[in-house]
Amino acid sequence: MLRLLDERGARAWESVSKTRFFDRETQSGRLIRAEPLAEVPDGASAALEHPRVPFISYPWEWTFSMLKDAALLHLDLLARSLAEGITIKDATPFNIQFIEGKPIFIDIGSFEEYRRGEPWIGYRQFTRQFLFPLLLRAWVGVPFQPWLRGDMDGPTAAEMRRLLPLGKRLRPAALLHITLQARMEERLSGTAVRRRLGAAGFDAQLILANVDRLHRLIEGVDWDPDVSGWSEYRSYGHVGRDREDKAEFLEAALERHGPERVLDLGANDAYFSDIARQRGALAIAVDGDETVLDSVYRSGSAVSLVLTDLTDPSPAQGWAGAERPGLVERARPDLVIAYGLLHHLIYSSSVPPGAVVDWLASFQCPAVVEFVGPDDEMVGTLTANKLQSELHPGRDAASFKDLISQRFEVIAERSLQSGTRVLWQIRPRR
Amino acid sequence: MIFGYLDAGSGSLILQAILGGAAGMLVAFKAWKARITGKQAVMDTAAESDEHVIAEP
Repeated sequence: MLRLLDERGARAWESVSKTRFFDRETQSGRLIRAEPLAEVPDGASAALEHPRVPFISYPWEWTFSMLKDAALLHLDLLARSLAEGITIKDATPFNIQFIEGKPIFIDIGSFEEYRRGEPWIGYRQFTRQFLFPLLLRAWVGVPFQPWLRGDMDGPTAAEMRRLLPLGKRLRPAALLHITLQARMEERLSGTAVRRRLGAAGFDAQLILANVDRLHRLIEGVDWDPDVSGWSEYRSYGHVGRDREDKAEFLEAALERHGPERVLDLGANDAYFSDIARQRGALAIAVDGDETVLDSVYRSGSAVSLVLTDLTDPSPAQGWAGAERPGLVERARPDLVIAYGLLHHLIYSSSVPPGAVVDWLASFQCPAVVEFVGPDDEMVGTLTANKLQSELHPGRDAASFKDLISQRFEVIAERSLQSGTRVLWQIRPRR
Repeated sequence: MIFGYLDAGSGSLILQAILGGAAGMLVAFKAWKARITGKQAVMDTAAESDEHVIAEP
């Protein structure tokens, strides 16, 4: 991955590359490595080579603990760089990615020399994109992901002030970062204060004090998830019973196809993703349950995690509708795992079976899928309040297999012990 | 988002001085006063220049 720098960027790189923190943080894996190229392409003043980030995810696909760790990493790097006369000119989670389950800062171009008297330009952005989303979850009890997906700049201080419950408004952090910031933004909008702060004696020590205050605040902010419908999934009888069979079936598919990128749809505790990862693939585990994924993240899993609803996955968005590609475009799998998922799409989300098969075919790669028949106990639960007339035709095993066979070749099949569930290894018809 | 340079927000900039503690309060007060009196900052030119501070302890 190449990064081209203009004259200003090249000057900044020159300073950053000489610091002790840059060496230390690239070695510890918290800052992406960067090697200057001897031959610089025309039009650029310098060029850096970075290792490729295998999978890009966005904050609206992260769990609470992921955003929290990303926020703490940003503050740590800012404090350490300021101590050596370097600052970070923005404060957005898009500068951070997760590689093998650990956050890493990937935007070397965000570092520049700190100028005497300059305030922290990224403070407001930090509050909107890191602090307020975390407080939204921890203090207001509302998930931040839909907000960030709808408005990637994050909530403003004024919006947070309106959302805060009464009991939280008098906390010092709420008074300062939310209420006071909202009032001062209202009062001083458009006033030139940046230079006046320098003239009044602003210095890096004030930024460091603020960074330290924010670090302590964020370290202490916690989200205590309720037990979700899926966090106890492993305790369901069929899950434990079938797990080894499903693992063995997956291993055979991994052996046959040797995929480099595996997309595990409806991954739950990422057990099967981890099998793919141990086989050397980049494993991307997608699930819509934050409680489960957050616990996978906190366990130190090296699988790439994506929190999204599979009936409405992250679309392409941002500038020109292309700045942040949609999930499917980023994942580019060469094997898909769809265990314990299709019946939820068909029965809970009422997706017609033919549309489910078309969707599987859209990945244009082999897949291992679990089909759950209409007589299964779980399907009984999912359809407890549905009339037969409200259910799609084509959902029995024979009809579904017909649908699958129109788009795929079935290359392996195994019935699970329950008798109502079957695994298929399929590959697209040419 | 992709263009890099932020609008830092005037109120958020002054607030940062306050968040810096006691020393910052004084800085915030001076900057606030300068705004009211309309007095031009003596260090405008320094802030505009490329003067750098290395190794603040």
